[in-house]
Amino acid sequence: MNNRVGLYFALPALIVLFMLIAYPVAYTGLLSVTDKTGAWVGGSNFAAMLKPKVTTQAFVNTLWWVGGSIVFQVILGTAAAVLLNQNFWGRAAIRSITLIPWVVPGIVAATTWAWMFHTEFGIINYMMTSTHLVAKPVGWLTEPNLVLPVLIAINVWKLFPFVAIMVLAGLQSIPNDLYEAARVDGANFWHEVWHIMLPGVRPVLTAVTLLLVIWALNSITIIYAITRGGPANKTLITPIQIFRQAFESFSFNQAAALSVMFFAVVIVIVFIYIRVSSAEPGVAR
Amino acid sequence: MNTLPRTAMLALAVSTLTLTTAAYAGEVVWWTPNWGEARAKELVEKFQAANPGITIKMEVTVSDGLPARVLTALQSGAAPDIIEVQHGWVNGYAQNDLVIPLDDTIQDANDYTKAALDYVSWGGKLWAIPYRIETHAIIYNKGLWKAAGLDPEKVPQTWAELVDDAAKIAASGVSGFAITGGGEVGNTIFRSLPFIWMNGGGIVSDDVKTAIVNQPAAVEAVKFYTDFYKNGQSPASTLQNDGAANRKLFIAQQVAAYQSGQFDVPSILKEAPSTEIGVFAIPHPEGKNTAAILGGWSYVIPKDAKNPGDAKTFLQFLSTSENQAFFTDTFPARISSMDADRFKDPILSVFKSMLPYGRPVPIHKNWVQITQAYFDGIQRILTGDQDVQAAMDQANEEIQALLDQ
Amino acid sequence: MRGTGLTWPLILIGSILLVVVCLFPFVWMALSSIKTLQELYTVPPHWWPNAPTLENFAHVLFASNIPRYFLNSVIISGGSTGLALILAIFASYGFARFEFRSKPFWQAFVLVGQLLPTAAIIVPLFITLRVLGLVNTYWGLILVYMIITLPLSVWMLTSYFKAIPVELEEAAIIDGSSRLGVLFRITLPLSLPGLIAVIVYAFVTTWNEFIFALCFATDSTVKTLPIGLSEFSTEFNTDWGAVMAASMVMTVPIALLFLVFQRMFVGGLTAGATKG
Repeated sequence: MNNRVGLYFALPALIVLFMLIAYPVAYTGLLSVTDKTGAWVGGSNFAAMLKPKVTTQAFVNTLWWVGGSIVFQVILGTAAAVLLNQNFWGRAAIRSITLIPWVVPGIVAATTWAWMFHTEFGIINYMMTSTHLVAKPVGWLTEPNLVLPVLIAINVWKLFPFVAIMVLAGLQSIPNDLYEAARVDGANFWHEVWHIMLPGVRPVLTAVTLLLVIWALNSITIIYAITRGGPANKTLITPIQIFRQAFESFSFNQAAALSVMFFAVVIVIVFIYIRVSSAEPGVAR
Repeated sequence: MNTLPRTAMLALAVSTLTLTTAAYAGEVVWWTPNWGEARAKELVEKFQAANPGITIKMEVTVSDGLPARVLTALQSGAAPDIIEVQHGWVNGYAQNDLVIPLDDTIQDANDYTKAALDYVSWGGKLWAIPYRIETHAIIYNKGLWKAAGLDPEKVPQTWAELVDDAAKIAASGVSGFAITGGGEVGNTIFRSLPFIWMNGGGIVSDDVKTAIVNQPAAVEAVKFYTDFYKNGQSPASTLQNDGAANRKLFIAQQVAAYQSGQFDVPSILKEAPSTEIGVFAIPHPEGKNTAAILGGWSYVIPKDAKNPGDAKTFLQFLSTSENQAFFTDTFPARISSMDADRFKDPILSVFKSMLPYGRPVPIHKNWVQITQAYFDGIQRILTGDQDVQAAMDQANEEIQALLDQ
Repeated sequence: MRGTGLTWPLILIGSILLVVVCLFPFVWMALSSIKTLQELYTVPPHWWPNAPTLENFAHVLFASNIPRYFLNSVIISGGSTGLALILAIFASYGFARFEFRSKPFWQAFVLVGQLLPTAAIIVPLFITLRVLGLVNTYWGLILVYMIITLPLSVWMLTSYFKAIPVELEEAAIIDGSSRLGVLFRITLPLSLPGLIAVIVYAFVTTWNEFIFALCFATDSTVKTLPIGLSEFSTEFNTDWGAVMAASMVMTVPIALLFLVFQRMFVGGLTAGATKG
């Protein structure tokens, strides 16, 4: 049935959000088509931002960053959730421990990892060289081809607990009789994972993935704290470019133009995603 | 207020009503960094005792995210009355009309180091009052010098001598001279641009219209700088090291010499008390003078300050010769303040002797992006992506585009 | 016992891996917090300090602003989590259980605040707070954090609500319950694990937020813990021992709290709930 009751339920939240972001959205839009004095300049801010090669490079890096982070976060997080859903001694403690990477403040986690990955001071190189795993220290954060994967690994570490706990919560609402029925049919554990657990948490995974994509697109803490986009822009992603443009170069107008383009791309992704995933059961009749 | 679109002005007009009730007359809000908090408190007490009509409200800032926070406050119109900022930030504020000129506030302008005043002047006006200046010199570990068979009292004067000594020390197993190639852009600008200057070159021409970073003078200096890493005299981690990382490596006895300011000396003495340290002037090319970037801090009064009148009174108090000498972390901007006893420590003598060679960086609205383009080039050299000439050619092209904007 | 279960060697290996991955940097942080300044940076690094010290903790607890900021953080994170939860419960129920015009639009709208880069919205957001007179207040940060916590809470709760079989609610409605009655007596209790997960995550996200707190709370009466961490840094130096000790103070209570909370991670749908 097509009625408005649902909208009324959502209204308070929507009003609060509207109150907070209406002005920022309008302001950003306006800044993107004006110059410092407030005069209309049309698309020239956009043109100025699209011209430098670095914008393309940042965009490509962003795709790698988001893609790499999401895939591993979802896979590892789901695996951890399935494990933590088992009954075993010490489970409560391990559930809490799993939460730790998420609870550690982002900037501290980033700095600690940077320290551990440091070519000279780093405990990781020390462990690897002292056990003769590698002959000489590895430049984890200085090798151009290594640094983005290392940063992605750190980001996966930071956020996979989010997936784990959310999926774990989702696993709880799978009715027991589904498992019982499966066992009667002689299903083993992996059948259960594939045919009961994963379908059961599909809505949760859908929402989690969307949130992860948005966070990855908007996350600057880890990269900014560790490499600031370097070396030689190998880890520069678009949100960091925007941050630099606004707060290091004072070009709020060009930063706004880049933000608008960024916003346009992301909102399209979000809409496609919602359309695809909304064909799901569970709607009141 | 013309930096903000009209809607913002409307919003500001509404909000000023609520804000004027919050701040009462005679109150000056002062944003001061946490490292000077104790001294700032003392100055406030002194000032309030002498000026019972004015109350100073200190709000302590931290260095993490400070530029973003200051800019947010300036840009949104909810600014304090006095902010302490680095000299290099002032020009951007001035060009964007976010702070007010202070020509009527400064006293004894002739008593200030000229380079410091130049740094914060623009369009014939003075936009900040400098109170603190500093330059780099080279801090070295006399023990490691000896261990490499060098005479620790015979320090290198020229580039050739520095390269020579660094190579000898590197042969003994520690880094002879650590450069930076990571962290915030400023770290590497402060350490490499002076070499370009003393070689007669620059990143941009004197009239700030032409990029000259791919000219022979600059390329030679950049090669000199990056070769310390290429030839194994700077640590393997150079690409991730900023000034603080170099200090830690120095303290850990991994680095025999590196560029820094006097602010590093107390932490070295505290964390590695047994290390015997010395300081020498930054070596120069044969037959030329040394150079350094002048760093330091200034006071600004935001355009939206609610109480600029009293703020100026307080600024004049902060800027007396005696108070500058008391408040600065490094050296004072006023020449007469330099006579204070605290600047007579022998370890400071080399840093002091570098001050006359300190220069402000070029003034251009895109300077930060220009330095970023240059820094990217340095990193391309260090990673081995490009040779020096190719990297500087690309940087030159990007910088020229920024100058032409 | 639910399911057939993993065999114990797999559980053991999986658990060990999980613990090592999660704790590796954390242990390094914990050890750093009891090291003296001289031992923090050494080449080669050592795991165990030669002279362990509690000085860093004493400094953090008795000579810094951390205890005060801890209180501020509890109030602000608690407030914003609570407010977000109340708003999100209704919104999610609306999104999960009803079809209405332009629903995808409104669902996407919830996310808009997070689609714009922080660098772009921080100045106008500041101006918004000024208009509302909320700069340097608890309420200011609590409201601003809605931008972060609402998208998370609304989207996650929607997915949990969707997982509850509609038949259960329909049965209750036939028995004469109102929509709200159904929400509070059936849907919410059954989604308890999801609610807990959302509460924990909303709380932690705001607990660690830095840039908004830095720009919107300039007075020490409202500053939060992440600002406290940055107060251990001066221009060229950072007291890492203290930062690490303060991070422990920030992290461990939350992990312990979750140890208690996770008991509620019990399936709402016990055997037979959907039968009949």
